[in-house]
Amino acid sequence: MIRIKSMKRVSIVSAVIAAGAMVLTTLPAQAATPGVTASEIKLGISSPTSGSAGTAYGKIPGAMKAYFSYINANGGVYGRKITLIHRDDKYLPVLAATRTTQLVLPDGDGVFALVGALGTATHTKAYKAASLAKENVPDLFVNTGYSGFGDTTKYPTTFTVLPSYAMEAKIMSKFIKENFAGQAVALIAQDDEFGIDGVSGFKAGGLTIASTTLYPQSSLTDARAKSLLTGLGALAGKPVLVMMGTTDVTATILKAAESLKLESKFTWIAGSVGGDANTLVGGFKVEPATINGMLAASFFPDAKDTKDEYVSQFMKINAKYNKGVSFDNVVLQGMNSAMLTVQALRAAGKNLTREGLISAIENKGSKFVGAGLVPLNYSATSRVGYNGYWFGQLNASGELKPFGGKLSIFTTDSGDGAIQASNFKRPTMPKNGIPTNS
Amino acid sequence: MRLVLFIFFGWILLILGDRVGDFKLYQGSFVATYALAIASIILLTGYSGQLSLGHSALMAVGAYAGALAIFNAGLHPVIGLIMAALVAGVFGLILGLIVARLTGPYLAGTTLALAISLPTLANQFPILGAEEGIVFDVGLPPARFGEDFSQYKWFFWICCLASLIMVWFIANLVSTKYGRTFRAMRDNPIAAQLSGINVGRLKVTAFAISSGVAGLSGGLLVMLISGVSPSAFPLSLSFSILTGAVITGLYNLKGVILGGLVLVAIPEIADSLVSRVGGSEGFIATFPGFLVSALLILAVVFTPNGPGHLIKKHHKKK
Repeated sequence: MIRIKSMKRVSIVSAVIAAGAMVLTTLPAQAATPGVTASEIKLGISSPTSGSAGTAYGKIPGAMKAYFSYINANGGVYGRKITLIHRDDKYLPVLAATRTTQLVLPDGDGVFALVGALGTATHTKAYKAASLAKENVPDLFVNTGYSGFGDTTKYPTTFTVLPSYAMEAKIMSKFIKENFAGQAVALIAQDDEFGIDGVSGFKAGGLTIASTTLYPQSSLTDARAKSLLTGLGALAGKPVLVMMGTTDVTATILKAAESLKLESKFTWIAGSVGGDANTLVGGFKVEPATINGMLAASFFPDAKDTKDEYVSQFMKINAKYNKGVSFDNVVLQGMNSAMLTVQALRAAGKNLTREGLISAIENKGSKFVGAGLVPLNYSATSRVGYNGYWFGQLNASGELKPFGGKLSIFTTDSGDGAIQASNFKRPTMPKNGIPTNS
Repeated sequence: MRLVLFIFFGWILLILGDRVGDFKLYQGSFVATYALAIASIILLTGYSGQLSLGHSALMAVGAYAGALAIFNAGLHPVIGLIMAALVAGVFGLILGLIVARLTGPYLAGTTLALAISLPTLANQFPILGAEEGIVFDVGLPPARFGEDFSQYKWFFWICCLASLIMVWFIANLVSTKYGRTFRAMRDNPIAAQLSGINVGRLKVTAFAISSGVAGLSGGLLVMLISGVSPSAFPLSLSFSILTGAVITGLYNLKGVILGGLVLVAIPEIADSLVSRVGGSEGFIATFPGFLVSALLILAVVFTPNGPGHLIKKHHKKK
C-alpha cells in the first residue's frame, strides 16, 4: 500500500510540476501588430554564435545590434527603438526551426519581423517549421546566397540580399575562363542547396570542371581534405581550386594544404561565404602566407579600405557600440544589412504593419543605399537584392585588392541570363550613416 | 486504477492546452515527445537491462518511415505515425535478433555505431531526400475545432495523446509477468535462464517494443519540425535521452515527464543564465553542455535510482 501511494505521489508531483512550468507566463494580450509598440520595434535573428559556424559568422548579430544602437541613439525609427533578439541555432536545421518558432510566436519572443536569418539548410527548414508564410512574417535580408529564396511561391515573405551562389559561380566561371584558360578546375562544395546552386551556376557559366567533390554541411574532416588535396595535387600544371563552402571548411582545406606543403600547387579561389581573410587567419589560424594571392569575389569594398566612406563610418560605429570586436567583412555585412533594415522600416511609414513593410521594400527597396558596389534589385516582381561581384586578390595582410589592379564589377541573374559589366554608381552615404529616407 | 490516473492526467493537459500560449504548447509537445523517448529507454535499459546508445537511430527509422508513408504513399497522418512505430519496431526486432548475444559494453558499442552511421545513410538513397530530407506534414487541425485552434495546439494534442497511450501501455506491460521477467533478466540473467525464462527471446522482445516506441517518438519529433532529415538525429540526441532517463530514474516510469521537461528546460535555463551572467565566447558555447553533464553526474551520485526513491526514503524515515 505504501509503495502504491508514494508512486502515485511522485506521478502527481511530476504532473503538477509539468503543469506549473507551462503556466508560468500568462497569455499576453494580443498586440495589434505583433512586435511593435509606440516605443519599440522587435526584430529577431536566428544565426549561429557557437560551434565552427559560430566562429565564422558569430559577429553578425553583434554588428547589427551595434548599428541599431547607433540609430536608437539618434532618434530611432520615427521615435521607436529597435530591439534585436538573437537566438543561437548552432547552424543546425532542427535548432533553427525551433529557435525561429520561438522568435515568432507571441508568447515566445513575439518579434515583428526576422532579419538576417543565416544558412541555407537551416533557414529552408526554419521557414517551413515556423509557418512564416502563414503568419506573413517579413523575412528580411537573409544571410545566404541560395537562389531559391527569391522564389515567392515558396518564400512569399523573404527578401534576399547577398548575390546568389549561382550568380557568383557564373561570374567566377567567366573570370576563370579569361584568366586561367588551360588550367584544370577542381570544385569542393557543400552538399546541399548551397553547393548545388553553385554547381548549376558553373554549368550556366560554361566552365568545365575536372573534379567536383561534395561534402555534407560543415563535415569536411582534416583527413578527408588531405586525401582530396593529395589526389588533386596529381593534376598537371597549376589547377584552380574553387572552395564553395563555409569559412570553417575553407580553413580546414587550407590548413590541410599547409601540412601537405601544397599551398603553392593550386590557384585558390574562395567563394564569398567562406573567404573572409580576417576570420581565416584570426579565427581559424590559417597562415597569412597561405592566403596571400588567394582569389576571392566580393560585392562590398574591402573591410580594410578605410578610404571608403561606408567602411570608415561602420568602423566608427563598431568602435563605439561593439567594443572589443575587430572590424572585418562579416561585421561590414551585418551593419550593411542593419542599415538596409532601418531604411525598410522608415519606408514602411509610422503606421508599421507587416504587409506595409513588405510592400515598402518592393516599391522603394531598389533605392535603398548601402555599402554594396552593385545595385539592389527589389521590385514588385523581384526579391533579389545584390546581383553582382568583383574579383580580387588577397595580400598577406588580408586585404582584398582588385585583380589586375582595376575594379571590374559584373552583374547577372541566377538563371541563364548574360553576364554584364556593371556601370552602377553607388549613391553617396547619408550624413553620418543615418538614413533619412521615407 | 492506472487507467483512471492516465485519463485524469490527460484531462489536465486538455485544460492546460486552452490556457497557455502557442510557444508553451510547442515546448510542451517537445516535452511529451522526449518523455516518450525516455520511456522507451527505461523499458529497454531500466527494465530489461540492455544499454542502448543508439536510440536516435531508431527514432530516425521511425521518422523516415512515417515521412515516407505520409509524403510518398499519401497515407493519412495517423497511419503515418502508426507506421513509424511499426517499422521501427520491426527494425528493432531484426536488430535485436542480431545483437541478442551481446551484452554490456559490446551492445552499447554496436548501438553507438548504429547511431553514428544510420542517419547519414539517408544521404545515399535519393528517395530519402538526402540532406534536405522529406516533408512531414500532419496537416491543419480539423475545421470542426474552429478558427482559434492553432497548429501548435494540434501538435500538443497529438503528442500528448500518443505519449499518454504508449506510456500507459508500457506501464501496463511492466506490471505484468513480462515486467517481472524483464527485471529478473536484468538483475541476474543466469538465474533467470535457470528458472526457465527464455532470456534471448525476451531480450529481443524488449528491444522490439522499445524500438517501436522510439520510432513513434521520432515521428512526433519530425512532425514538430515539419520534416525529417539526417541532421535531426545527431548522436547527441541519444545521449540527451539517456541522460534524461538517468536523471529522473532509470528503473521507474514515473519520472518520464520530468525527464522530458529537463531536456527541454535545460537549454532554456542555460541560455537565460548565460545571458544574465555573460562571459567569454567559449563559456557561452559550452555552458549548456556543462550544465547537462553536471546534472547527470549529480544524479548518478545522489539519486542513482531517481528522485522518486529519494522521496520514498524520506517518507519511510518518517
